[in-house]
Amino acid sequence: MKEIEISLTVNNKPYKLSVPANITLLDVLREKLKLTGTKEGCGKGECGACTVMFNGRSANSCLILAPQADGAEVITIEGLGNLENMHPIQEAFVEEGAIQCGFCTPGMEMSSFYLLTKNPNPTEEEIREGISGNLCRCTGYMKIIKAIEKASQKLNEKH
Amino acid sequence: MKEFNYLRADTLSEALEMLEEFQGNVKVLAAGTDLVVRLKGDMVKEENILDISRIKELKGIFTENGIIHILPLTTHTEILEYPDMKTAAQILYDACKSVGSPQIRNRGTLGGNVANASPAGDTIPALFVQEAKLKLKSKSGERVISVEDFFTGPGRTVLKPDELLVDIYFPAMSDDEVGFFKKLGQRNALAISVVSVAAKLKKSTEPNKFDKAFVAFGSVAPTVIRGNRVENALMDSVVDSREKIRYIAQLAWREVSPISDVRASLKYRQDMSINLLYEGLLELYKNGWNRRS
Ligand SMILES: Cc1cc2nc3c(=O)[nH]c(=O)nc-3n(C[C@H](O)[C@H](O)[C@H](O)COP(=O)(O)OP(=O)(O)OC[C@H]3O[C@@H](n4cnc5c(N)ncnc54)[C@H](O)[C@@H]3O)c2cc1C
Ligand code: FES
Ligand code: FES
Repeated sequence: MKEIEISLTVNNKPYKLSVPANITLLDVLREKLKLTGTKEGCGKGECGACTVMFNGRSANSCLILAPQADGAEVITIEGLGNLENMHPIQEAFVEEGAIQCGFCTPGMEMSSFYLLTKNPNPTEEEIREGISGNLCRCTGYMKIIKAIEKASQKLNEKH
Repeated sequence: MKEFNYLRADTLSEALEMLEEFQGNVKVLAAGTDLVVRLKGDMVKEENILDISRIKELKGIFTENGIIHILPLTTHTEILEYPDMKTAAQILYDACKSVGSPQIRNRGTLGGNVANASPAGDTIPALFVQEAKLKLKSKSGERVISVEDFFTGPGRTVLKPDELLVDIYFPAMSDDEVGFFKKLGQRNALAISVVSVAAKLKKSTEPNKFDKAFVAFGSVAPTVIRGNRVENALMDSVVDSREKIRYIAQLAWREVSPISDVRASLKYRQDMSINLLYEGLLELYKNGWNRRS
């Protein structure tokens, strides 16, 4: 298939790529840029494992066609933080034991990041709503909610 | 995913030009939260995909002479964040809030929800009762139709192959109007509506009476439908008791012709549309037919 030139910024790094139009941003991240932190679960917008920040808002990268990402600013879980320099959300998930198999974690943390950017002091209800597009088959959500509450405190203390 | 020829229009006139050129063999792409799922499922027959998502002229909200215009590429989140939407377009606001998940609302557009023409499209019953009009435009001209006249069946509309939906508009709600949108899904988030109900009532100067009533049901027929019997009963009665509200809500049984499918049986859908309508009306009644704060 005919390839299309796209430029995009991922985790503050600019990229220029040639891609077929019938792949998604998720494929670009995982296959072309080898940023495999972002996961593919359902491929249909239902599980949230592929959640990234897309132009300042959370989005399912499995539903964004690669050419639609031309000119976009993307942040993935790798851009949130890494082992040497963990983001407070990542720290809180580890400390609260909010990770079991870990498959949902990158998407869950990106949704938490979007939520806390918009609402630094969410109630439990607002946290549930904020992660309503993310499924976790392991934890039963309580520990995830605790982790997000803790992350919110950590972030507020930092400021 | 199916192979296709990707086209991108940066302005409205470019888009209309391309629609005319590829007429019949081109599918419009807004955010793609519906279309990309369909492309992955090999459910799109058109060979050309026209990306309109960057057209600035088709994005945004403005009010003119008491009429709220929401341009088709405006996302559900943008509608929710727009000042005053919660009062001036309360019914649509509640419908947008119930769509999918934060991720879906951040991307999915109002125009895509309407043009997708799903009988379960959540903003559609809300737009019915908010008396919305749609502006359709092609290279050769434009026309305005009532939202009710747009749909002809599941996934089918009167949109011609060279036309684009370019504006969605309706009067801002006045102080004497109240309403609601209610949806029942299989779970709280990411649920396609099993049934949904929207209503708008214009209060009369006499208590418990209404000069105008609009009621619409989603997911109970091949398209969203108006509930004329319920509307007439609401306008003809003094709605001053729980019993009367129950009686009126039960009239919905005659309006709806649902199908049984994987999500729910026919009987369940009929019962649930009655219950949702009853619940919505009762909440307003208990609040003295005033808006919830
Ligand atoms: C996981 C998931 C959950 C969802 N939950 C809900 C829900 O709860 N409620 C609900 O109502 N919907 C839901 N949806 C459906 C979808 O997200 C919405 O309908 C959304 O608003 C579609 O907008 P879009 O911009 O993504 O449309 P697209 O997918 O880009 O387009 C949809 C259709 O509309 C046509 N189209 C788009 N814009 C125009 C235009 N301006 N002129 C002419 N034709 C046009 C396209 O050709 C296509 O046929 C869900 C989808 C997913 C994947
Ligand atoms: S993989 Fe994108 S939502 Fe499931
Ligand atoms: S930790 Fe396994 S899916 Fe959430």
